Amino acid sequence: MEKKKGTILCVDDEPGILRSLQWLLQKEFDVLTASSGQQGLVLVQQNSFDVVISDQRMPGMTGSEFLREVRKLSPRALRILLTGYSDLQAILKSVNEGEVFRFINKPWSMSELPRIVGEAVAIAQAQSTSPMIEEVAATGELDSGRDTILVLDDGPAMPELLLQAIGSSRRILHARSLAAAVEFLSSENVSVIVADTRVANTDTTRLLKMLKQKHPQLVTVVFSSENDAADIIALINQGQIYRFVRKPVTVAVIKTVVAAALGKHKQIMDNPDLLKRHSVEMISADAETSLMLDVEHAAVRDHASGNQPRAGASFLKKATTGFTRLFRT
Amino acid sequence: MPFQLVRSFTIASLTMFVLVAAVLTVLKAKEGEFFEEAQSQQIRFFNSVQENFARQQDQAALRDLLSIHESANVSLARLFANSLWERNFAPYVARAQSLDVDACRALPDNRSAAGKAGTPLERKACFSEIGRKLEAFKEFKELDARVFEAMRRSSVFKVKVFDLRGITIYSSEHGQMGEDKVSNAGWIGAALEGKASSELIHRDRFSAFEGVVENRDLISSYLPILAPGSEQIVAVFEVYADVTPFLAQMKNTSDTIKNAAAANQSKVEQVAEENAQAIGRNAKYLLASVVVMLALLFASLFAIVRRADRIIVQQAKDRERALQQSAQSEKMASLGQMVAGVTHQLNTPLAFSKNNVSMAMEILKSFELPLKVAGAFGKKVAEAEGDYLTIDLAEMRPQLAGVSEVDADVSLPMEMLGDTLNGLEQMRELVENLGAFTRLDRAMLASFNLNKGLHNVVYLSRSVAPASVTIVEDFGRLPMMECNPSQLNQVFLNLINNATQSISGTGTVTVRSRTDGGRIRVDIIDTGSGIPDAILPHIFETYYTTKAAGAGTGLGLAIAREIVQEHGGEIRLETTPGVGTSFSVFLPIAAHSSNNPV
Ligand SMILES: Nc1ncnc2c1ncn2[C@@H]1O[C@H](COP(=O)(O)OP(=O)(O)OP(=O)(O)O)[C@@H](O)[C@H]1O
Ligand SMILES: [Mg+2]
Repeated sequence: MEKKKGTILCVDDEPGILRSLQWLLQKEFDVLTASSGQQGLVLVQQNSFDVVISDQRMPGMTGSEFLREVRKLSPRALRILLTGYSDLQAILKSVNEGEVFRFINKPWSMSELPRIVGEAVAIAQAQSTSPMIEEVAATGELDSGRDTILVLDDGPAMPELLLQAIGSSRRILHARSLAAAVEFLSSENVSVIVADTRVANTDTTRLLKMLKQKHPQLVTVVFSSENDAADIIALINQGQIYRFVRKPVTVAVIKTVVAAALGKHKQIMDNPDLLKRHSVEMISADAETSLMLDVEHAAVRDHASGNQPRAGASFLKKATTGFTRLFRT
Repeated sequence: MPFQLVRSFTIASLTMFVLVAAVLTVLKAKEGEFFEEAQSQQIRFFNSVQENFARQQDQAALRDLLSIHESANVSLARLFANSLWERNFAPYVARAQSLDVDACRALPDNRSAAGKAGTPLERKACFSEIGRKLEAFKEFKELDARVFEAMRRSSVFKVKVFDLRGITIYSSEHGQMGEDKVSNAGWIGAALEGKASSELIHRDRFSAFEGVVENRDLISSYLPILAPGSEQIVAVFEVYADVTPFLAQMKNTSDTIKNAAAANQSKVEQVAEENAQAIGRNAKYLLASVVVMLALLFASLFAIVRRADRIIVQQAKDRERALQQSAQSEKMASLGQMVAGVTHQLNTPLAFSKNNVSMAMEILKSFELPLKVAGAFGKKVAEAEGDYLTIDLAEMRPQLAGVSEVDADVSLPMEMLGDTLNGLEQMRELVENLGAFTRLDRAMLASFNLNKGLHNVVYLSRSVAPASVTIVEDFGRLPMMECNPSQLNQVFLNLINNATQSISGTGTVTVRSRTDGGRIRVDIIDTGSGIPDAILPHIFETYYTTKAAGAGTGLGLAIAREIVQEHGGEIRLETTPGVGTSFSVFLPIAAHSSNNPV
């Protein structure tokens, strides 16, 4: 028998699922199974898994609780959550506490699941050679970095709250539109983006997803009143957002979340291998084109209202070149 | 029979109105009778007053007549005495004394067989003899002539003179001369006591100065005659005066009075009659208007009551409809909640079944070549003649290269398909439970095993509840019951959902069924938060909820209670904050269905 690509753990309370996953994955990987979170944690302590796949809905311990524990016990393992239904609360938990790599919807696609697992195994194994990753402790303490934070929000509240939360130690840029954001991003060295999912009636998630594809060192935090679980799942799978927080938010929450994001950015910069852990699914070409159009529209609108940061006749060209510089290089 | 407002009102008020009308009628009739009685008494009194008056009038007139005529007769007698006494009467009276009357008086009484006392004929004849003797006196002729002379054309019809012995010594009716009047009360009064007396008499025939007259009313007066210039009674006069015209006049007057009285009487009676009629009419008008007013009152009250009744009925209908609607929407809401859970429940077997089928198909595909080879080989073997078969291995080798790699074990795809079959079974069970639960019929079933429904609800609740909540079935033997299963499903789903929602983290909900005192009892016992005293009184109120907006409608318990009450049952609960709650549903085995909203 040839050497398997990696070791994975599947956890689900439904034996049918476990057997099916095993049959599907055992050709390429060593597959261990557990029928509950507790059993899974025992196995995690005994083995070094590349990937841990868990069902969300289990008696005793939920999937997101289990993955949070896995993250503490075995930070190297990438975490994949199987979800059969949209429990928003559970999904937010798994994003913010479990820092999952992917959500996989039941029923899964037979060709896709092994591919995603393969990808994750590859990332995990690439890192197993580098020093052990220290996960960012969510202390909320700020170090003394000199980073730039871009706020993408059409209201004045967010930048103010952010200023209250972290003081003036970091540079805070405020973009009220997609065009402004693109311009800042192409000209400034931004570490963390704090964004809403909708700005000036335009969807920002495509920008966030594309940014992550091209500039994985950017750490994205989303504050939104969005409550469609499917949209949040897409943001994780395609945008690898670092945190998702439901609006309205308090200064304390912003401080914790942004501090963690800055820490994460520093970690990524110090250890570029980590970038792979945040690799994302490719966004479709159509989405890229529509994003480009939205950026241009926003630029036209900004110009009409005299809203753009630097006035000039070639505003459209600027936006386009900014876009190209950001995404086509 | 249920209370019906309009009917009860109609019966009660009509009875009351009829009673009022009857009482009024009786009172009015009594009043009429009393009035009539008073009036007739009045009439009788009036009548007697009038009669009395007429009688007194008559008597007075008569008395007046008598006294007037008596005094007239007295004057007449005095006139006689004055003018005729000295020359004519005194000698005549003196001479008359010479005639002996004692012999005649001595004649014995003879009593008739009939015992009737009467003057014996002998004595009468004896006195008539005395009369003839008196007539024969030479003084008589002149006296008689002078008397007739004096009385001619007067109202005096007859004059008699009696001596103190009581003998009729003169009479203008000559036949009566000599008659004895000694026992006559008038004579006695006049002769012995000097008293004049008169009486009214009626004679069919009477011989007067002018001859015989008929049908006359007369006043006869006995008058003492005093000798002129002395107080000595010397004779007694009897004068007959004719009062027929006076009496006729008097009678006339009396008749006039009587007529007037009768006219008055009849007038009074007529007025009384009219009054009585008027009162009767008034009473009728009064009664009629009271009846009309009562009828109007009844009509308007009836209209009001009927309208009120309609409104009440409409309100009841509206409430029932609203409750039905909210029950329906609550059901849809809990169904919506269930969909998430059910999706997962369905997704799980769907996911592995799909995966298994795809994998099994792939494996089956890999079996294609070996099977073809085996088939071809088999064909060749069948076609071969004899016991030997020649195969050109060189030619076959490249074609058969893959065959050896195939894992010809069919147990793996068999297992995969076996799991798939299990998955399909899970899905079938779910669909069946869902179907049984969501059946929206509102029909009552005559015999239903409640445990079946409970199992159904528990099955679905398990898929809705968080996996950390264990739902335990503890079903006892239950008799078949009469109920509406789809409604009871809703009751138990609401109670079990409340129970699972009260548990944060891990916990247990026990669904227990058994019979208790002739009723079916279902307990839903949770190890959840319990219900604080402050909110306990409100939990059955519609729209009362302590859950986040969107998470609870606050209708669950209200609807559960409504349905259970409609089944003739009740819901009780016991709760200890921090420990848990136990809801108990009691249901009669034969539910008496009441379609009225409670
Ligand atoms: N088993 C229970 N344990 C604790 N509290 C309960 C329990 N059952 C009901 N309650 C309380 O009673 C309230 C009213 O319950 P009810 O079922 O009528 O409405 P709801 O559950 O809030 O909303 P809905 O049923 O529409 O989802 C609940 O909000 C809750 O506070
Ligand atoms: Mg409820």
